[in-house]
Amino acid sequence: MTNRPVLPGGILLAVLGSLCPFLWFVLTSLKSQIQVEAIPPTWWADGSLGFYTSALIEHRLLHYVRNSVIVAGATTVIALVVATPAAYALARLRLPRKAWILSVLLCVAMFPPIVIAGPVWQILERLGGLNTHWGLVLPYVSLTLPLAVWILATFFHELPFELEEAARIDGCTTWQALYRILLPLAAPGLFTTGILTFIYAWNEFFFALLILTDPERQTLPVGIALFQGEFIMPWGEIAAASVIATLPLIIVVLLFQRGIINGLSAGAVKG
Amino acid sequence: MAGLALQHVEKTFGRTRVLHDVSLEAGDGEFVVLLGPSGCGKSTLLRIIAGLEPQTRGSVHIGGRCVDTLPPPDRDIAMVFQHYALYPHLTVRENLAFGLKMRREPKPVIEARIAETAALLEIHDLLGRKPRELSGGQQQRVAMGRAIVRKPTLFLFDEPLSNLDARLRASMRVELKKLHRRLGTTMVYVTHDQAEAMTLGHTIAVMNHGRIQQVGRPDRIYHEPGTPFVAGFIGNPPMNLFEGSYRLHQRDLEFRAGDLTIRVPFQAHDLVGADSGTATLGVRPEDVTFEPPESSHVAITGTIDLIENLGGDSVVYLIVKGQPLVARTSPALRQHPGDSITAYMKNFHLFINDNRVPLPSS
Repeated sequence: MTNRPVLPGGILLAVLGSLCPFLWFVLTSLKSQIQVEAIPPTWWADGSLGFYTSALIEHRLLHYVRNSVIVAGATTVIALVVATPAAYALARLRLPRKAWILSVLLCVAMFPPIVIAGPVWQILERLGGLNTHWGLVLPYVSLTLPLAVWILATFFHELPFELEEAARIDGCTTWQALYRILLPLAAPGLFTTGILTFIYAWNEFFFALLILTDPERQTLPVGIALFQGEFIMPWGEIAAASVIATLPLIIVVLLFQRGIINGLSAGAVKG
Repeated sequence: MAGLALQHVEKTFGRTRVLHDVSLEAGDGEFVVLLGPSGCGKSTLLRIIAGLEPQTRGSVHIGGRCVDTLPPPDRDIAMVFQHYALYPHLTVRENLAFGLKMRREPKPVIEARIAETAALLEIHDLLGRKPRELSGGQQQRVAMGRAIVRKPTLFLFDEPLSNLDARLRASMRVELKKLHRRLGTTMVYVTHDQAEAMTLGHTIAVMNHGRIQQVGRPDRIYHEPGTPFVAGFIGNPPMNLFEGSYRLHQRDLEFRAGDLTIRVPFQAHDLVGADSGTATLGVRPEDVTFEPPESSHVAITGTIDLIENLGGDSVVYLIVKGQPLVARTSPALRQHPGDSITAYMKNFHLFINDNRVPLPSS
């Protein structure tokens, strides 16, 4: 009973703590240029949308949004398409050295990006992938695959084996059993994996900066970071652009969250 | 025509051999029960029949044709799983239709079959529901329905009642028996529950350690168990089995286990190789009584260790000459634990080299 008020307090603190920088950005984006530069900083924002119009029109923000949608979307789709059969095989088939494969995958996921930056750049240069969207999608997919396979394998692993056998007796091939029976049941896993992959690709900065030097192809994080004013750092525009860049993520997560909850409550499998 | 024939089926996983030379035949329309403790290979055998698992050696014939190279859907079988394995994201109707759809049956046929099956199992009202909205018993019915709707040549059941509570299990057992009578299809039923095996099976195949120990009608398995394992596995409480040595005399056989000596009426015949050796002697708890009988019995005195009152009858645990002996009697016993009592035994079962040796009936 004694820790009752402590728990909500902690939650409130955690939420405020993580929201604080974001709230500050939202406030900044709604300020006027004078308020942004005021010393000491003001809490008040007069609700001006000037920075938004400036970010959208002068800095061509929607163009970066488009690039990011293409890259993050393609990364997510490809990662899911490749990870699903891989995870299924690792979870269900009798494979030699299964544990070994899974631990290697985990090791790969642990590599710091800087370690592979050089080789990736060289490979892409050879393949002609520099300054192309696919040239960015390729390393994104290989970097997100290990985690995707791990999450999906866990989900497949928890589905009863009998379901698949029932499907096989009912006339399904392994592939049919996978997409007619197992995939609908592993939907929460697919959602989770999809969201994580999408967020990664949407936010990734380092490889995007390395591979895309052509402003026409740059994604949001790089585009925003390279916003240049003539004499001053355009903080207001950067804040407005960051808000716009974050909104799709929030929307996607809220949408998928519903899917996850539905999926979880639907997994009522006996035994 | 044979409903099912297994010829010298063997199965090894890596270096472990889980099935040894299993041969079994079931007539058309017969109800065969594979009975044995967990890990005896009965489920593996069922999965080999289904085609979910390839056998290492031997062959499987269903409805007269060899199915060794056929995948499960082409074997014309239906299987009911232990945990039902209903597709959770599909309604009952869709669950029933799934197998027929995969076989590209025309829609009217599917509808007709579903209606027929729903009527047979009385699951009309459930057709629109999802499996999670059903009780355990209802899920069980739907799982049966999914098998019946396909009209297969052979039904396979993998411990289908083991997840139900005792009352429901008993009533489903009766229904299953009626269902078999109506459908007349060959059924193979895997269970570790001897009561299910005895009530359902025309034929019981008792398995242990990957071998079929005995195949026969339920009463035969009960009255003439072929090996000590079968003797100990069938019956509740299990048969008293004494490990010891025997010596043949002129008109009887002397059996010794520790301090316990029992003289069993016996006529020498060629089934017994030597005049003496090791043997297992068994007597069912039902064949141990405490009232002096009219006919010939073997009497023995012991101490009561424990009495379990089951309502109608009671199970009495005795110690006779250092050996435990269990008796099942119907009238209530006046004696108490610690009291000395004389037990009368009949219908002995003798096993030499793990094989049954017939005794003259007492």
